[in-house]
Amino acid sequence: MKKCDRCNKPATVHLTEIDNGIPTELHLCDQCAGETGYIQQAHIPLNEVLNQLLQAQSRSAKADGLRCEECGMTWQEFKDTGLLGCMKDYDIFAAQLQGVIESAQQGATRHTGKCKESPTDPNAAVKLRQAELNRLRKDLARAVQRESYEEAAKLRDQIKVLESSPGTD
Amino acid sequence: MMKPGDLTKQNGEWLSATGPKHEIVISSRVRLARNLASFPFVSKASQPQRSELHRLCRDRLLALPGNLNLFYVDLDHTEDVDRQILVERHLISKQHTSGEGSRGVAISADEALSVMVNEEDHLRMQVLRSGMRLRECWKTADMLDNMLQEHLDYAFSERFGYLTACPTNVGTGLRVSVMMHLPALKLTGEIEKVFRAAKDTHLAIRGLFGEGTEAIGDFYQISNQTTLGRTEEEILNEFSDSIIPRILTAELTARSILEQERPLALDDRIGRAIGVLRNARLLSTEETLYFLSHLRLGVVMGRVTGLDIDTINKLFLQTQPAHLQRVLGRTLDGEARKAARADFMRQQLQARPP
Ligand SMILES: [Zn+2]
Ligand SMILES: [Zn+2]
Repeated sequence: MKKCDRCNKPATVHLTEIDNGIPTELHLCDQCAGETGYIQQAHIPLNEVLNQLLQAQSRSAKADGLRCEECGMTWQEFKDTGLLGCMKDYDIFAAQLQGVIESAQQGATRHTGKCKESPTDPNAAVKLRQAELNRLRKDLARAVQRESYEEAAKLRDQIKVLESSPGTD
Repeated sequence: MMKPGDLTKQNGEWLSATGPKHEIVISSRVRLARNLASFPFVSKASQPQRSELHRLCRDRLLALPGNLNLFYVDLDHTEDVDRQILVERHLISKQHTSGEGSRGVAISADEALSVMVNEEDHLRMQVLRSGMRLRECWKTADMLDNMLQEHLDYAFSERFGYLTACPTNVGTGLRVSVMMHLPALKLTGEIEKVFRAAKDTHLAIRGLFGEGTEAIGDFYQISNQTTLGRTEEEILNEFSDSIIPRILTAELTARSILEQERPLALDDRIGRAIGVLRNARLLSTEETLYFLSHLRLGVVMGRVTGLDIDTINKLFLQTQPAHLQRVLGRTLDGEARKAARADFMRQQLQARPP
């Protein structure tokens, strides 16, 4: 394994820098790559983001002994691989997963998108409408803040129409 | 039926330079992750379960309407170089090539549509098109998803939506990615600013070619980082109406600054690129990407004549290791590959003198 050019730790980032047509190979560890600006925080692959979250999670999330009967998954195994074993794991590890999902998904805890049932399903329609309403309300708040009253009025009309349509909660 | 090697004769829809803004927005991609409720996720599926999953999904995909023109590649029984070709053409992930056991991919003849079976999730559908066409890609993916959903029982929960092996994909299972060529932002040093702004909007930006995080050739892939709590519509709108237009404008501004304030430096870069590509006797993949990027900038900005974007796009693909070997019809290693690449490049560029 190649060592980091700066600090001799194992290199994880391998680059070919080209300066005026002359390629130079660079090998850096994650930390040095970050410090030298070769990696921006925003480039970290998603599974690494998850990994950091998982490592940061203390053992206090009491999952010892918890094991999925269906697929054999344990919390420790999930922490090691970042992958769940079957759909039931979402229930079995619900308490432990909650925090992980919330941080990985920027605070989101609930699905608002397309639903499994066909789009004509009444449930799906309600959800879609709800999502549309949320979007309009957010736009409205922003319009008001910007003092774009004409736009705000338009948005208010759209919201009224949606709210008065049947099936909205 | 088509085979992966046959693909090297064509450019693939996403490199066809036909979509809106294709000079800068190379391609738009929409990916949906789905799993079947009656099987464990792939990593916990037994070999017999994986085989059954594979058969089930393949049969379902091949039973789709004929106008989708799908052909199927069983990756467990495909040569390394052909699997590599599919990676270079962005039809499957690296993970899918190096994986083991029963797995495959369905691909449409124009390569705009592909569905990986038994990758990290049971199904990974992708629609990939030239230019800024995310909404169009979504419509196709959504339609395909609906067609499959009629016959396959997806893993889904009220609360978390479509359930995926990794919780970073849960919810919509939707990953949108836009690939952009941003050489001027790189040359003017403004690219860091764009990245910093992206960080605040929860985007993932990564270099396209090469391993991991490097961005050889100034190609960047911009993707959404979260899949839960926003509708598909919201994710798409943010990309189509805000994120991508902003980066596009920044790149265009950087280009006109170069043109007006540093025309010599700009033409020097382009001229050096032509010089190396037309004359080198040994070319590495990295150098090729680096110089082709500047040549592409020159062609798009009209500072190089006699070459079109289509040709340059094709060169990006055909000089990749597996493509080069298929196009030339022989296995090549190290120095021999660099020499063959340089020969190929000279021949391609000299056939069309400026
Ligand atoms: Zn280091
Ligand atoms: Zn399980």
